[in-house]
Amino acid sequence: MRNRFLSPTIKAALGAAAAATVIAIFMAPTSAQAPAAASLKTPWGEPDLQGIWTDETATPLQRSPKYANQEFFTPGQRTELDQQRAAMLGRDKRVERGTELDVAGAYNAQFASVKRTGARTSMIVDPANGRVPPMTPEAQKVAAADRQFRLALLQATETCKNKSVACNGGKYDPKPSPRLAELAPRYNTARMNRFDGPEDGALPDRCLTAGLPELGGVSFRRIVQTPNGISMFYDVGQGQGWQRNIVMNASPHLPADIRQWYGDSRGHWEGNTLVIDVTNFSPKTDVQGSRENLHLVERWTRTGPNSLEYAVTMEDPTVWTRSWTVKQEFTKQSEQQNRIYYEPRCNEGNYGLPGLMHGLRTQEADFAHGKGPHPATKDIATDFVGVEDDPLQ
Amino acid sequence: MSGRSLPSMIMVAIAAAAVGAVIATSITPTSGQAPAPAARVARVGGKPNFSGIWQANNEANWNLQAHGALPAAVTQQGIYPYDYARVPAAPVLALGAAGAVPGSLGVVQGDGQIPYKPEALATKRENADHWIDRDPELKCYLPGIPRAMYMPFPFQITQSTNKIHMAYEFSNTARTVHLDKVEGPPDDTWMGHSVGHWDGDTLVVDVTNFNDRTWFDRAGNYHSDALHLTERFTMISPDVIRYDVTIEDPKVYTRPWRIVMPLYRRAEPNIQLLEFRCNEFVEEFMYGSLRKQQLVKHWEGDTMTVDITRKVPPGDAFYQWYGR
Repeated sequence: MRNRFLSPTIKAALGAAAAATVIAIFMAPTSAQAPAAASLKTPWGEPDLQGIWTDETATPLQRSPKYANQEFFTPGQRTELDQQRAAMLGRDKRVERGTELDVAGAYNAQFASVKRTGARTSMIVDPANGRVPPMTPEAQKVAAADRQFRLALLQATETCKNKSVACNGGKYDPKPSPRLAELAPRYNTARMNRFDGPEDGALPDRCLTAGLPELGGVSFRRIVQTPNGISMFYDVGQGQGWQRNIVMNASPHLPADIRQWYGDSRGHWEGNTLVIDVTNFSPKTDVQGSRENLHLVERWTRTGPNSLEYAVTMEDPTVWTRSWTVKQEFTKQSEQQNRIYYEPRCNEGNYGLPGLMHGLRTQEADFAHGKGPHPATKDIATDFVGVEDDPLQ
Repeated sequence: MSGRSLPSMIMVAIAAAAVGAVIATSITPTSGQAPAPAARVARVGGKPNFSGIWQANNEANWNLQAHGALPAAVTQQGIYPYDYARVPAAPVLALGAAGAVPGSLGVVQGDGQIPYKPEALATKRENADHWIDRDPELKCYLPGIPRAMYMPFPFQITQSTNKIHMAYEFSNTARTVHLDKVEGPPDDTWMGHSVGHWDGDTLVVDVTNFNDRTWFDRAGNYHSDALHLTERFTMISPDVIRYDVTIEDPKVYTRPWRIVMPLYRRAEPNIQLLEFRCNEFVEEFMYGSLRKQQLVKHWEGDTMTVDITRKVPPGDAFYQWYGR
């Protein structure tokens, strides 16, 4: 089960591949002309957060052990990392031709975005070690049960036979696991090596990319303000996006029995900072193991004509032993180029989801007639040669 | 712009304003303390402020044109061979009166007709006959404009000086009306590319770059990728917008035509858009045939045939009486 922050673009690859090309074109880094400082307030006097914003640099969510005691990269380290990572751009890394892993790597580095290395060694600024805090013992048990289930489904594949990292903690057994007949231990949000129905798919494969906090590699958000009102539209690539209409009237959160994919966002101004409190998440979302009890406090602050600081504190005492905070720096994008994609039309062109299920049903029928291998001996869950090679991770 | 419905629009507006006032005083939020609504700002950048949560309150999503009430969205011939004697059919039969279609005087201006070319009219009729198979709404596809404006869901306008954002509850979609200069989209779109300007206090929005995959309603009214809309938004009271759209599409219609309707402010003090992320809701409808173990037992190939089960609730006195 992959870290959902690692690369939503890659995770969702089977969903609507064509959209990736569009996003890649959009990603050419150009910043807007610097407006006059006076424009940092709206005409009606509120702090002005409006525009299209994106993180133009790449920063890993968690700090690599290589930089354990270092919050910021040195300029030399950034240059060196940029050189190493630029080399990833044209790479078409192949493993042994014709193997499952080679075919799974059909989405090569061309489908990934490589941005300049950011200033920080991790997006996480609290705790000081730049790592997600330890899970509670109860949450560890839940995560372990989930992991064991996924490994069982993978056990008869080449991935485990070859001791690939994707099979870490599991072991190879040529006989498909009887657990293939079981429900996942909790509502599934990630790829598993089975596709009995839509619910076996990862959320992005179902065009249900989860929402907040959005810290992904390639994402834009447009903010439009009106007196006492703020709307945001997120474009996260792969034809997926969503809207947030921040409730700004100091009213309490939605009743606890209303649960939403994007939670319930209620904001207020603290000086120049927009503070948004987000609760009421759906149990079908998953942020590092946190689901319906996730509580976010976001802080949006315009720091300059072309810059906006985003900080989000995440807490869920049922999952983490303490809260943690992520920071990102967004850069304003050209309004005229309008480089945001408003149409979350993943669902309208999702050939991947029915294709996966249809393929599996065909393989099952073939196997039943003695014509092919047991479908569970094929790995449809783990993917992508070389993703782990990014020296930032 | 003096459509035949203008006087009635004003009547509606007055009635709605009166109703709105009553609602404002009689509805309090059902949960928590009452929020203190901030004073509404009447103008932004010198222009009428359309910001707020709005909803059409009409039957246009069923059919833009005038129509009488129907027993169901899907009907079959009854015992008489007449169109007016049709009866509800599967799959909506089990919904009883909840599956019926309310009548409407229609929103198409002039003679109330949509000026289809002959071959396009045939396509429209086929669409209507195959509503369940063809209507993009049922698949939770992006509704397009103008349909998003009058679906039975609220939408929110956030009006700034250079952009006016419209967020729709249905399918979590949105559009931005650009009042400043922008490049168009690189491809055709479901929701169109909206460029606005002010004509006095009326917001005029030019919408282009459509694909040919959205419909106008559940009656099969449709357009091609040559669709061009000119929308006019005029505030006719603090809580009512007159929404007037001229529809042009030389591939499908013989001339431009217009629809006009009021959009009403949702006056509940605690109103907010909730999620209606329907692509999850339609997974069974779209992909159920591909399950290893089907939930609906009557998939034959990719055709779903649904048996209607309707049970009399145990203890229902009426049924017990006549069943004796």
